[in-house]
Amino acid sequence: MVDFLIKIAVIALYTTIAMLVGILFMGIGRKIVARVHNRVGPPVYQGFIDIAKLLTKKTNISHGWIYDLALLFSLTGIILTILFLPIGGVKLLGTEGDAFLVLYLLAIPALGFALGAGASGNPNAAIGVMRALVMMLSYELPFVITMIALMIYYDTSSIAQIVELQRARWAIMIPPFMLAAAVADMALQGMLMEAPFDIPTAPHEIASGPMAEFGGKHLGSLMLYKAGTIVAYTTLFVDLFLGGGVVMHDGSILSYIVNFAVWFLLILLIFTLSLLINASFPRFRIEQAFKFYWKYEALLAFISLIWVYLMVIS
Amino acid sequence: MLELIFTALLVASFVTLFVKNGRVAAVISLIASLLPVAAIIDWGNEFGLKIFSFGLEKSMDFSIAGITMHFSVTALAWFFGVMIFFLIPPIMLFSYSFFEKNRGFFPFMLFLITAVFGILLASDFLTLFFFWELMAASSFILVYMGRDRKAIISYLSFSVLSAVLILTGIALIYSQNGTLLFSNVAFSADEVTVSAIILMIAGFAVKSALMPLHAWAPFVYSKADEPFVAFLSGGLSKMGYYGMFLMLFALPGAKILQQYFDSTVATYILALIGAISAFIGTLLAFMEDDLRKLLAYSSIAQLGYIAVGFGIGSSLAITGALFQAFNHAFFKSVLFLAAGAVAYRTGKWKISELGGVAYKMPFTFMAALFSIFALAAIPITSGFAAKWLLYEAAVSNKYIFITPIMLIASVGAFLYSFRILYGVFLGENRHDDIKEAPLPMVAGMFLLVMPLIIFLIFPGYMLDMMHSALVNAGIGTVSHTNYVISTGMASYNTIAVVVGMMIAMIPAFLIYVLRKHRNIDFKDNFLAGEPYEIYGHISMHAANNFYKPIEDVLMPYLRKGATSFYMALYNAMGRVSKTVRRIYTGLSQDYAIYVAVFLLIIMGWLIW
Repeated sequence: MVDFLIKIAVIALYTTIAMLVGILFMGIGRKIVARVHNRVGPPVYQGFIDIAKLLTKKTNISHGWIYDLALLFSLTGIILTILFLPIGGVKLLGTEGDAFLVLYLLAIPALGFALGAGASGNPNAAIGVMRALVMMLSYELPFVITMIALMIYYDTSSIAQIVELQRARWAIMIPPFMLAAAVADMALQGMLMEAPFDIPTAPHEIASGPMAEFGGKHLGSLMLYKAGTIVAYTTLFVDLFLGGGVVMHDGSILSYIVNFAVWFLLILLIFTLSLLINASFPRFRIEQAFKFYWKYEALLAFISLIWVYLMVIS
Repeated sequence: MLELIFTALLVASFVTLFVKNGRVAAVISLIASLLPVAAIIDWGNEFGLKIFSFGLEKSMDFSIAGITMHFSVTALAWFFGVMIFFLIPPIMLFSYSFFEKNRGFFPFMLFLITAVFGILLASDFLTLFFFWELMAASSFILVYMGRDRKAIISYLSFSVLSAVLILTGIALIYSQNGTLLFSNVAFSADEVTVSAIILMIAGFAVKSALMPLHAWAPFVYSKADEPFVAFLSGGLSKMGYYGMFLMLFALPGAKILQQYFDSTVATYILALIGAISAFIGTLLAFMEDDLRKLLAYSSIAQLGYIAVGFGIGSSLAITGALFQAFNHAFFKSVLFLAAGAVAYRTGKWKISELGGVAYKMPFTFMAALFSIFALAAIPITSGFAAKWLLYEAAVSNKYIFITPIMLIASVGAFLYSFRILYGVFLGENRHDDIKEAPLPMVAGMFLLVMPLIIFLIFPGYMLDMMHSALVNAGIGTVSHTNYVISTGMASYNTIAVVVGMMIAMIPAFLIYVLRKHRNIDFKDNFLAGEPYEIYGHISMHAANNFYKPIEDVLMPYLRKGATSFYMALYNAMGRVSKTVRRIYTGLSQDYAIYVAVFLLIIMGWLIW
């Protein structure tokens, strides 16, 4: 019983920290992009201010119970996803599911968000969701191929197990996975909806797309969801290719702190990389993005998969 | 006892033929359709579903005109019986409101059930074929009621194709063995047996709409009555897979194929065909504007996964395939029924003409939403466990082509799911004058959703139910408890997901409850207070050509498909027939000349 309570406490602590890190990253992101554009930019804690403001608003407007599902599903789904991702080597619920489960858990918030956007009745929102779904179809192909390559190489589909097996050396140090990681990083660009793949929310074309009609607590929770996705996707990448940021294995208190710090630095690195690409590229059209992912990315991913397959067979 | 069930079903079918009132016919059919369910529950005592028992016999021989028909229930037939017969009472409940007049749905549906019951119990090939043809005939009449030329012709020709393939296969098997009893047939790895197996699998694949034998499905699904289509897609398509399972694993055809080709190439091709069905079906589905055609393509796609499982052939894969078959039976029935309920109230099928139905029909929407979760394999329903098993099987067998195709097809399912959710149920409210569907319809749909939730939390029960079927076929089982499935690669704990979700919902729930909101009609928000009427001519529903950008990219590759091949064949046959028909001019002089020429030829031949 005590063990169970400790586990619940650890899970609660880690998810809270993960969400806070996500909000912090939103601020960092705006700062970095502003510096690249030679602006001053908002302070790094701007994300906290925005979310606190939205969640404490007195007037909240809803368009019916399906619209409210966006709030419930998006936040629930992203927290649930984070529970199944090892953070800095701490497995949370990581042993109870695997990479396929995480892929499908990530669909819960997306679908909830899409439901709310559809219920808001704004045509721009529907167009935004259409773009988001087409983007999803686009980037998932190269991403799942790289994931399958990892699964075949390590002969497991559990993310916790993959992290564990990267103790000796991180996956990115194995030649085929260098290619795979490059591919997955471009897929990550689409997952995080950063330019050149910020098509779904394109503010100048479709008035922020799915979020067009959201406000107050609904928008606040969607911002929390956005913060969660930054952490979830970057952590997924770090877990798959960079050994989850685990550098110390002795299980002491110090090792937890060090691993957590390394994890934080690694996801910050990945996120910064994605922001620098974001700040320097214009936006693709949706069919260009689709062709990019399904032609070049998928081909490269497939080369790495075949390479891994040949390595495993021989 | 067993012949009593057959007789009762046939009598009910005969009686409903003469009942004009749809309600009365529906009640009779509902009661009759409970008989096979009772039989299934009774047999469940042996195969893993212990509820109650009244001692129904398990086998029966029935002689007529010197031919003996052998019936006996196997674990496999029982499992397929569970997934098919539990569908029917809710569908009948739905039909209670759907058909005001009895236009022939009920008698032929009951006849169809009798045929399906016969197929599942058949323990020799002749009985199987006999009931298979009864099934084809009664379902053809139900398709015929749709009064659509294309649907009728395509269904008839593909049924005939299926029958020919199966009959040829049976004849070949008979020529090799001299017996038709399943228990006496012994396969050996020679050309005749192998071609028999392949022919029969192709014949069964027609029924389960596997590409490239799927061309009938979109036409038929979009034109027949909804309750029948729900059963056609949910129930009858599984009969094809029952036959395939029978050929591949119960009579060990897969091993014979492996021996003959000296590799797993034949079953690999089956898996690849399944994966391609899933992929192409998905792509075609999200470009479709007719709700029923969309669901038809989605059926083709979802059924493709089952073929993948059978093709891979490991215990993981087959467990996943059977689980997927079970899920598909329920969620696709609900979706077709929901489409029927929406059409019952609005009279529309085109997604671009619908919209905002959810506000008026919330319960229909909820049923559809849950089945869409199952369809998209989102882990809030049992749909996920099935696909997860299939992915695990494919990855652990290192299938580097099939796994990505399956996964991306499943992502594509989100696209058409949202098309249904948004286009039909959400968005602009265009139907102010409609009501929720009648209670029997809603009850029918919710009954069908229930298994999807039960087997989310306890997938172990499902695995227990298929346990004896798999053991009898010599396939191992997947290690599991009631709520944990473990494979060699990973494990999936459903309780962790459900409890985790409850915990994860706390913050969202707090935000939702602690801050009050008021409801505002979205028109006020979107139009900034201007009266809606002045925008009456502008559509605020972005559902026309929803996936236009991706359609433009993909369509050039998809245009030359199997359907266009069949259409070309159909047109060529039409041209040939037209040429031949020119002989029949309808003028008596011409016929006189034909006779004269014919006589001259005969005479010339005699003289020579």
